[in-house]
Amino acid sequence: MKRGVFILVLGVVAAAAAYGCIYFACTASARSLQRSDKPELAWLKEEFNLSDAEFNRVSELHAAYLPQCRDMCRQIDAQNVHLQKLLADTTNVTPEIDAALADAARMRSDCQRMMLRHFVQVSQTMPPEQGRRYLAWVEAKAFLPDYGMSRTEN
Amino acid sequence: MKRNEPGKHDDALRKLLKEWRTDASLARRFQESVWQRIEHAEQAEAPAAPSVWTGIAQWISTMLPRPALAISYVAVLLAVGVTAGWAQARQESARVRDELGLRYVRVLDPYLDPRK
Repeated sequence: MKRGVFILVLGVVAAAAAYGCIYFACTASARSLQRSDKPELAWLKEEFNLSDAEFNRVSELHAAYLPQCRDMCRQIDAQNVHLQKLLADTTNVTPEIDAALADAARMRSDCQRMMLRHFVQVSQTMPPEQGRRYLAWVEAKAFLPDYGMSRTEN
Repeated sequence: MKRNEPGKHDDALRKLLKEWRTDASLARRFQESVWQRIEHAEQAEAPAAPSVWTGIAQWISTMLPRPALAISYVAVLLAVGVTAGWAQARQESARVRDELGLRYVRVLDPYLDPRK
């Protein structure tokens, strides 16, 4: 009986050990991406097979883009606050609200143009095939038909 | 050595039993009651039907230690562990990569950036 129980337990322990080893080995790459300084850029490097030189250039473009993006965020937030205030103060569509809506639309258009320019620049630093794949992927994510409609923030 | 001569003892016992006489009469329905007691004793001693657990325990103690079966059992469980680990890792890696991809776009897109 003891021998039978030993074999039974050995099988279960072997299965658990195999599961753990394979799981940790196969998720090592993903965990390494998560632990890196800039996980999203580390992901980009791996996903689009970038060389170190290409990755450095992409990182430079990324770093140069972020201040513009932050500035755009501030303008959008200020515009939203302004629009909310106008909407709260009136029950009619006033010329001020018309102007604020037009500003918001212009700002969105500017923002999309700025992003697209950045995406194209990034794609041009990649090998042609990867660049096309990157552009198709990022445009699908950032210019979806329901663009901006699924935001959870208010 | 008396133990080596059982015939002598049997003969002596047979002789003694032939000489033995008793006047005591048997109780009424003695034979029937004896058979009833035998029947009851047999029923009490009859083993219960083996349960599933008894069967499994029996299988573990008798069948599993056989080398071919033991090796097959461990090999199958190893394969199950490897397959489950690989499938789970693949799913987890895909989830992490999707999340990082979305994070990349959110960092660049002011309209997707979940700021307050």
